[in-house]
Amino acid sequence: MNGWLLAQDLFWAAVAALGFAVMFNVPRRLLPGCALAGGMGHALRALGMGLGLPLEVATLAAATAVGFLSEWLAKRHESPRIVFGVSGVIPMVPGVLAYQTVLGVFELAGLINLSSDTAANELVNTAVLGIKTGLVLIALALGIIAPNLLFRRQQPVV
Amino acid sequence: MTAKAATAEKRPLTHTELTDIIDLCLWAGQMLLQHGANSLRVEESVHRLGTGLGCDWLDIVVRTESLTITATSGDEFRTKTRRVVRLGINMGRITALNDLSRRVSEGQLDRFQARAALEQIDRQPGTYNRWLVVGMVGLACAAFSRLFGGDWPVFGVTFVAAAVAMLVRQELIRQQVNPFLMVAASAFVAGLIASSAAWLHLSQQPQVAMSASVLLLAPGVPLINAAHDLIRGYMSNGVTRGVTGLLISLAIAVGLLLAILLTGAGI
Repeated sequence: MNGWLLAQDLFWAAVAALGFAVMFNVPRRLLPGCALAGGMGHALRALGMGLGLPLEVATLAAATAVGFLSEWLAKRHESPRIVFGVSGVIPMVPGVLAYQTVLGVFELAGLINLSSDTAANELVNTAVLGIKTGLVLIALALGIIAPNLLFRRQQPVV
Repeated sequence: MTAKAATAEKRPLTHTELTDIIDLCLWAGQMLLQHGANSLRVEESVHRLGTGLGCDWLDIVVRTESLTITATSGDEFRTKTRRVVRLGINMGRITALNDLSRRVSEGQLDRFQARAALEQIDRQPGTYNRWLVVGMVGLACAAFSRLFGGDWPVFGVTFVAAAVAMLVRQELIRQQVNPFLMVAASAFVAGLIASSAAWLHLSQQPQVAMSASVLLLAPGVPLINAAHDLIRGYMSNGVTRGVTGLLISLAIAVGLLLAILLTGAGI
């Protein structure tokens, strides 16, 4: 993975995070933080995968980094963590995997006919895609709540 | 009651005061819940608000579709339930409510000022112009197509498909269409436009446009809140939110399937 590709990755991920932040009506002063979290997260994941980590592991590591970054940004701006957390992991959402899973299911059901694979192969491929989608989603959720899980142990107010 | 008195030695509240405070707490909690805060944040913010305004204690039951609060002060107590309807994600309001509960717990506001602040938050229109949101969402999904390795024609197609889908979504929300139907219809429109990459022979990767242009509908907040709630011990809320996220994903799939069947795009 060279620097130019990584910079592009960071840029587009930041744009995606920014767009979603606007859709979620994030206040203007917090938008730069959202773009930063989104760009950093996705670029970190690309870096991890470039180093040979599997997608799911790289996602967990990057999402955890986004979690800590959100914690820091939230303290700095005295705002809820979720604002940065959600915008930060949005670019890592497994859109293509989920889409291919859905196509696989429709194909198994005989609704569409795309590949000439045997049904058994299709079943395995679809299952693998579905499992990967689920694991990436779990990695994202676990990653951004990791700081909260690890370091927030004081007595709850309620 | 001055703002200072709220934090100093607590005197027992009168029945009227307790009624007023519990109404404020329900209002704040309801807004937090319907705009996408997780259960722990709702419970903590409401608790800080109530004790900051002079209650000794609050017991708060947060459910995804209702909120029940018992507020106690001296020998008096009041219990009230409020029905909560799910509305769109609004981080602006969550930020403002978070700020309000912090200021109240620091004793900066009394209950009259808190009510004025809540009224202001409730009236606050969206920060961004409708068309700006449409454009930004289109751009965000187009950016996704780049991340998925799409080429420039796919970038353009995704931009248009996602922007139009966002317009459809805004319109259907205004018409108060069922949320799942709204998602399916928006995904259908996005899929229809995105598939033009295939039948206009614009690109070899129509599947990238199809998958990127429906991401504006992805249930990111429900799924993340589901994980948070489950881990923080709000089991039933976590399950409810998870199922909501799953149903939204299913609705996206149904919309896309219809688009694929209709255009016959061999994607």
